Amino acid sequence: MKQKQNKKAFSELIEKNQAIIHKITMIYANGRVDREDLFQEICLQLWLSYPNFREEAKFSTWMYRVALNTAISNIRKSKNSFSFKPLRETDRIPDNSNNEKENVQLLYRAISKLNRIDKAIILLWLEEKNYEEIAVIMGTSKTNVSVKLVRIKRKLEELVSNTVKQES
Amino acid sequence: MSDNDKNLKDMWNKAGNFMGTPDYGSETIERFISKRSNSTAQYVKKMMFIDIAVKSLVVVVLAIDIFLYFKTMNVLAVCIMAIILLVSLIFFQFKMLNQFSQIADYAQTPKEKLASMLTYLRSRFFTTLLAISSTYIFIFLSGMLLYFYATYGQVRPLDGQDIIVFSIFIIFGIVFNFIVNQKQVAYQIKHIEACLSDLNDNTLPLVLSNIETQRKQDRINKVLVLLVLVFGFVLLLVVFKNIGFLVR
Repeated sequence: MKQKQNKKAFSELIEKNQAIIHKITMIYANGRVDREDLFQEICLQLWLSYPNFREEAKFSTWMYRVALNTAISNIRKSKNSFSFKPLRETDRIPDNSNNEKENVQLLYRAISKLNRIDKAIILLWLEEKNYEEIAVIMGTSKTNVSVKLVRIKRKLEELVSNTVKQES
Repeated sequence: MSDNDKNLKDMWNKAGNFMGTPDYGSETIERFISKRSNSTAQYVKKMMFIDIAVKSLVVVVLAIDIFLYFKTMNVLAVCIMAIILLVSLIFFQFKMLNQFSQIADYAQTPKEKLASMLTYLRSRFFTTLLAISSTYIFIFLSGMLLYFYATYGQVRPLDGQDIIVFSIFIIFGIVFNFIVNQKQVAYQIKHIEACLSDLNDNTLPLVLSNIETQRKQDRINKVLVLLVLVFGFVLLLVVFKNIGFLVR
């Protein structure tokens, strides 16, 4: 009975914070089926790790940590025939494009080209986490985060800068 | 913050409006958390747990064999020795399962989790696999005794050809079991190594040196489990030939 109540309370908590998980599944999985599978796996790992959650850490920090751990470790073969088109080096949004949806998709495609660790770091940075928070979540040093972020951002900017300039 | 940084973040913040992600209700999430995990960590844990359950079942069957062959001294001794070996292996595997459960905890930082997982898979997992593969011998031993009792009412001595055929079956079973499980984690090991190397934090060389230390520490366990495997074979041969270093 108590377990059932806990599950319900936990599910409501996840429901409120599901945007975090969705963003992670968007960059770590291709296609609807894989994203749904990863979403379920993250929810399950969050539930299994919940007894170890210590109140001294922020809930969102803990949630990012478990969710990213799950996404990084998840190496099953894709079940989808449909996926984001892989990004080629020559891909650029046309100069006259004004389509925000296309720009966002391009950003996701650019991120999907990064390795799993870089994806996690850029995602945390885009989610407004500061260097120290990113270092705590990833378990690495602040210096390493800043060095890596410079490189990752440069890579991303190369791919999306034309579109962003047009928007602004 | 540079203009480019701001632009990237603006694009990211707009993402939620365009990507069409489903909005799951709490009841759906409750259903998700009631499902079974399909992670590699869960696969390894399940494999260890099932093996402990099978070993426990074999202990029960061996206890039945003791009851059935109560008057046959050498079979009795074989069964008792097999039970002692199995119980030791069960304890050993419980210890391994507990260790692995801590390693598989997703609440650690990605760096800690990747490092501890790689250390376990590259140092202790070999011994775990050996212990798991050894179950095959004991299943054969206990089942054979049960079969002999049901069919002949006693242990039937087997000729050389029978022994060769049975031995090939057993060795094939052990090797097959071992290779399948090892292949399953080999890809995972490669993936973890790549992730640790991408972290650019000098973690991989440190983990590799730690693995070497752990491997050295685990050498005794490996030898002990190998001895159990060999001893299990000897017990099986005793039953096969119905001979004994022990007096009937």
